[in-house]
Amino acid sequence: MRVRSKNFRSNTVEFGHGHSKLLDINDLSKVFIRGQGFSKTRLVAVNKVSLSLERDKPEIFTLAGESGSGKSTVAKLILGFEEPTSGNVVYKGEKISNIKGSMEFMKDVQPVFQNPFETFNPLKKIDSYLYETEKNYRMPGADEHRRVKESLELVGLSLAEIKDKYPSEMSGGQLQRTSIARALITKPSLLIADEPVSMIDASLRMSIVNLFKSLKEKENVSIIYITHDLATAYYVSDRIAIMLRGYIVEIGPTKSVLGNPLHPYTKMLIDSVPSPDPTKKWKEDIVLSDMESSEFARKGCKFAGRCPEVKDICTRCEPESVKIDGRNVRCHLYQ
Amino acid sequence: MPVLDVRDLKAYYITDRYGRISRVRAVDEVSFQVHKNEIYGIAGESGCGKSSLLKVVSGLSKPPLRILDGEVIYKFDDNELNMLSLKDDKQRRQLRGTHISSIPQASMNVLNPVKRIEKSFQDFVSVHFEINNKAQFNEMVREHLSALGLDWDIMHAYPHQLSGGMRQRVIIALATILKPDIIFADEPTTALDVVVQRGVVQLIKKINEEQHNTIIMVTHDMAIHANLCDRLAIMYAGKIVEEADAHTIFHDAKHPYTTMLLKSLPKIGDESERESAPGAPPSLVDVPPGCRFHPRCPKATELCCKEEPQLIEIEKGHRVACFHEGGSR
Repeated sequence: MRVRSKNFRSNTVEFGHGHSKLLDINDLSKVFIRGQGFSKTRLVAVNKVSLSLERDKPEIFTLAGESGSGKSTVAKLILGFEEPTSGNVVYKGEKISNIKGSMEFMKDVQPVFQNPFETFNPLKKIDSYLYETEKNYRMPGADEHRRVKESLELVGLSLAEIKDKYPSEMSGGQLQRTSIARALITKPSLLIADEPVSMIDASLRMSIVNLFKSLKEKENVSIIYITHDLATAYYVSDRIAIMLRGYIVEIGPTKSVLGNPLHPYTKMLIDSVPSPDPTKKWKEDIVLSDMESSEFARKGCKFAGRCPEVKDICTRCEPESVKIDGRNVRCHLYQ
Repeated sequence: MPVLDVRDLKAYYITDRYGRISRVRAVDEVSFQVHKNEIYGIAGESGCGKSSLLKVVSGLSKPPLRILDGEVIYKFDDNELNMLSLKDDKQRRQLRGTHISSIPQASMNVLNPVKRIEKSFQDFVSVHFEINNKAQFNEMVREHLSALGLDWDIMHAYPHQLSGGMRQRVIIALATILKPDIIFADEPTTALDVVVQRGVVQLIKKINEEQHNTIIMVTHDMAIHANLCDRLAIMYAGKIVEEADAHTIFHDAKHPYTTMLLKSLPKIGDESERESAPGAPPSLVDVPPGCRFHPRCPKATELCCKEEPQLIEIEKGHRVACFHEGGSR
């Protein structure tokens, strides 16, 4: 994923005011086609995903799931890096495909990437990224780096700390905070953070996660937090969606989904979070998927091959999303 | 009787740039013992020297990492052997595979992307072991894979066809096929998702039970250590600051750094505010004088800034380096 820094589209877009949804994703699907001719295979990376964020109620929304569950593809679709195959993403009343690449949209939706050691060019001084972003987006007060200073303050750093430094001179936590500061320069309403803590030491993770919390509360920024770390998701997020091979299998308030999971996959995910206590070791063994492609190609429920409560019907037809107990679940147990 | 005895090991990265010599004190006077059939964990933040320690102990150190002092003694069936006295790579090579083996971090780079998994196995085994015919080799691999609960079909797959978790398990199977006495695992679960992580931990445990070997495990994830390890050493800025059995570390930790590490971990079902460890680990080029942890320590006194505490045994099997816990100079 690369952010275009120059050549914005010249036409400016006015967002539909009065629209109550910040982000509205409706029946979104993305199909990747691999190979050519007879060996062509279809891979449905995102399958009928629907979710929405309110405009005047900032929240931290978690997308969780194993690797290869389609979480990052959803992020790319929201940022407009990929074209959806069907369904659409609506941002403040405008379709993403119409407004992507426009200055207003890129100012308003900013990404934070996974690996802070790879985000920055090792031969380039780190503060130059901040100045460039400020200049490219034509933020007021760019001459005295007003916005740079403000956003660094928000993430708990100061310009003196990072001035004239190369990425190799800073720790992972500091780099990730600089990366978030860069995203905040344009005063976005939505941050898309794709696995922002997975490359950071467990002892420093909480500083990033607490930062998200304070951004939501003080700056009214909504955050889509993509992760497989359910412990930090429980700590920080308001709502959570559990993804499995392109589907959202369970979506609802974090405290109830993780506190009282209904889908067997959510149960297994929670069960697999290691506890820092030697008296609570994992007891029974679990079944892992061997090949990703075979699970994507599976008919019916994608989890049937590993599910402990598998029934006859699971291998034949696909479960529908049903509403129970304040959340949506996609499982034959609750049909 | 310990199978591995490390005494006062000192290894620095020494670089000479235009006459300016810089020393990174990655491993500084580290001593520990590992016993037969145990899983020994080494924990600490990134940049504390845990991977460098593993490199030196397993004989993989290359310049600029230089060993200045100390002993690394292995004991295999009454044979004593000092790793650091081995002259060339040929001698070290005889140790690898059959006596010691290492599991690298999960990555796409470990397996050859244009060769089938089978070929990687053949290459590895033929270097350390004489294969007379294909049937014997197949028999050996089949037996090993079925003992670990892996499917024979993966042998014919290419690395890109396997999922990340499967790939890591194949790498573990490859590293353990010759039933080594000691296995070094460097962050084997980092960057894997929780489900796969659990599968990998499960596999490492199984190998420990089946092959009765010793595993030395390095990771920053305390929760993985809690699940897997029998004994645990906490490293900070090139030194071991605390060492005890896993239960003691998690329930009765004495060093302020250990408690700080444990306090920063969030748990599902626990909504209390969590703070990450304040400050950052020091640069190993110029380490703070006295106790290396004192700039971040809430209990630091004047003594801590001046003198360095020694790692001493406060109870049987529990060593701590802190003045507040009866540490001496």
